[in-house]
Amino acid sequence: MALSNANLVCQSGRITGLLGANGSGKSTMSKIIAGVYSADAGEIRYNGKPVKYRNPNEARKDGIAMVFQNLSLVADLTVWQNIVLGSEEKKGMFLNNRAAMDLSREIVYQLLPGLDIRKMVHELNPGEMQIVEIAKAISENPKLLILDEPTAALEQAQVKSLFTTMHALVKKGVAIVFTSHRLWEVMEICDDVVVFRNGENVGSIDFTKDVKDLEKIIGYITGETQKAKVEKAHDTVTDEIVLSIKNLNYGNFLKNVSFELKKGEILGIGGLAGQGQHELMLALAGNYPGVTCDAELNGKKVKLNKPANAIQNSILLVPGDRQLEGLFLKHSVFTNLIFPKLGLKRQPLLTPQKKYRKECEQVIDVLSIVTHNLDMPVNSLSGGNQQKVVVGKWLSFDTNVLLLADPAKGVDVGAKRDLYEYIVKQVKEKRMSVILYASDNEELVEYCDRLMIMYEGQIVATLEGKEINDDKIVATSMRVS
Amino acid sequence: MSRVNKKRKPAEDSALRGLISNPDFSRLLILIVMFALTAVLQKNFFALKSIVRNINSFTPLILLTMGQAVVIISGGLDLSVGSALSLLTCVLTSVMREGMPITGAYALVLTFAVAMVIGVINGIGIGYFRIPPVIVTFATSFIWLGIALFLRPTPGGETVDWFQAFYKIGNIENAPASLKAFGDIVPPALILVLIGCVLWWAISRTRTGRYIYAVGSNSESAYETGINTAWVQMQACMINSVFIFLAALFFVGQNGSGDARMGDPLTLKAIAAAVVGGIALTGGRGSVYFALVGALIFSFVSKIIFFANIPNAYQTLFGGVIVIIAIAGSQIYTLSSRRAMEESKLT
Repeated sequence: MALSNANLVCQSGRITGLLGANGSGKSTMSKIIAGVYSADAGEIRYNGKPVKYRNPNEARKDGIAMVFQNLSLVADLTVWQNIVLGSEEKKGMFLNNRAAMDLSREIVYQLLPGLDIRKMVHELNPGEMQIVEIAKAISENPKLLILDEPTAALEQAQVKSLFTTMHALVKKGVAIVFTSHRLWEVMEICDDVVVFRNGENVGSIDFTKDVKDLEKIIGYITGETQKAKVEKAHDTVTDEIVLSIKNLNYGNFLKNVSFELKKGEILGIGGLAGQGQHELMLALAGNYPGVTCDAELNGKKVKLNKPANAIQNSILLVPGDRQLEGLFLKHSVFTNLIFPKLGLKRQPLLTPQKKYRKECEQVIDVLSIVTHNLDMPVNSLSGGNQQKVVVGKWLSFDTNVLLLADPAKGVDVGAKRDLYEYIVKQVKEKRMSVILYASDNEELVEYCDRLMIMYEGQIVATLEGKEINDDKIVATSMRVS
Repeated sequence: MSRVNKKRKPAEDSALRGLISNPDFSRLLILIVMFALTAVLQKNFFALKSIVRNINSFTPLILLTMGQAVVIISGGLDLSVGSALSLLTCVLTSVMREGMPITGAYALVLTFAVAMVIGVINGIGIGYFRIPPVIVTFATSFIWLGIALFLRPTPGGETVDWFQAFYKIGNIENAPASLKAFGDIVPPALILVLIGCVLWWAISRTRTGRYIYAVGSNSESAYETGINTAWVQMQACMINSVFIFLAALFFVGQNGSGDARMGDPLTLKAIAAAVVGGIALTGGRGSVYFALVGALIFSFVSKIIFFANIPNAYQTLFGGVIVIIAIAGSQIYTLSSRRAMEESKLT
């Protein structure tokens, strides 16, 4: 049961924001409208007529297009083949490929000039894939466009051009449903918002009539009045250097990266998407054998040529793409939590199940992971809770350096706060050191003691103290200052 | 934007690199090596007679591999190919009556209908009931075999004279001389393969062709895009049936009889040949034409073993080893050339 008594009204020429925590039923609602699922009860009225779509094709024919959160792209076809997929035009007996390419080129040009439409989709980076997914929905000339978290993989410039395109569509009378966890985006673009919690709608605000009250929206989403903001850990920063990296090089991706990380510090990495931040995190975690650098951990030389090395030195990675890199999705929470132990610590011949289960229950307690029991497969958990499991699997290790590679991507406000609250607590109590890469500048501003901006694989600036604010970050990232 | 330009290498340089690192290139290399080896080992390899003989012995596997490739690309797998082929030969030879040329036409129509039914049934199981393809087609393979054994418990049956047009036009008694001469140069088997190629060429330019790749690559995405994935998978099975039908025509033309057991060994060979040709078993990737290349490599391997004077007892063993070496070789080649390309990008 993902939805109960959920209501949603959208009008043509308006952008309706659909908000809610992970697992609150936003995606389910969207998919019902788009004909992917069918509702058990209730009614959908479209242009005044009740409709019931049995499959996505019927919804498409009525002019409903959807951008899927998990993307509906086919990796083995090219960009333009994906954009026209399902609505190919024919010329005589065969497909009219030239018209399809022209159409695709035109739409892609609005969103991301410079993307080669003849590339295979599996060659693209996540942001480009997202753009293709959006282009695909727009190519159908929809009357109702549902955008389910279209911005999670995009950098700010791309978000801006998406917004421009959305405004243009709205002017033509298209109705848009927009979902995002980044509230500033919602505040900027939406005409009204509807908030879901646990499959019910708990509130709605019409921005054209009411004030844009962020606190109120967050209250609707989390179901509680907002707690005091998590405080920065500034006071815990010591002068002791934990990790020092000198001249880290990795082909064209990373060039002469040098920095020092102090004990009890949260060091941020920012910049435009795809400037080497992700590669730097993976390099520090030992994922690239070809990396050259002088690394010292607590004054001792270490090698970072394989993941096991990094882990044994307690440099632990929480990857951004939890579904691909951090979890065994079909296995239980228990298996996922104890897995690193099995491989990397000296083990008794038989796994002491009882003892480990007890430890895992403690982990679940500490991180307040919402799960029915330890044996639930991890993919049945919501995104935020999945991410907590990724963090939780390192809990039994002593952490020297925790690498967070965009840990809150696709995680709702409440779970995001829980996660960071826990990490800040660890930093304060255990003097843990953290390197944080986040695609959302808000997180960097809120939590970092120092912030390094990367550009084309180099660290071009390091911001400290009051310099860490959104304007400054954007300016430095784009190299305009 | 300047960043993009900086990365771009001179066009011809990267084009050549792209060609060399293309796995299909390594497959063609292997084909050339196998071709050369066979040419060295087989006497009179380039004589018209041996060329025709080779084409004839390669054709059934080529046709079945191409059909199988279509199913695999659509995300399925057909283990009933061999017994479907056997069944079709049995149906053909049961309908035809010697000395009554018109029965040949009846046989063609009826057998084509049976082939379509075979495709539809496999397609229903794979596409509409969502039963794992291996299980559906393993089960149906016994159904086809059972019906074939019912029709023809022992090999045999009758054919009409003109049916040899699918094997050797020269064997037909009252065919015009010019047609016979043409048949000597262009063997019917080659024409059957060409028909298969043209068929796929046409289909690959339609929605069906595009959707077969889409569904095999990611059926969930394809469904969400409004594609009727079950229907596409059924169409793939029916296209496969056409290829099996072509192979059955050749067999009956060649042997003049039907055999309920003759197709069995070809099933797994066709799958292996498709893999050698670069069709990914996970679906969505590979080219049907390269399935043909895979079938050729596979066929040359058996020729080489036959002519290399390897004792009978070891021939099967050697066949397996050579195929493994061929696949591993192309894999290593691809990996190393990709690595070389990445390194050149890095510096």
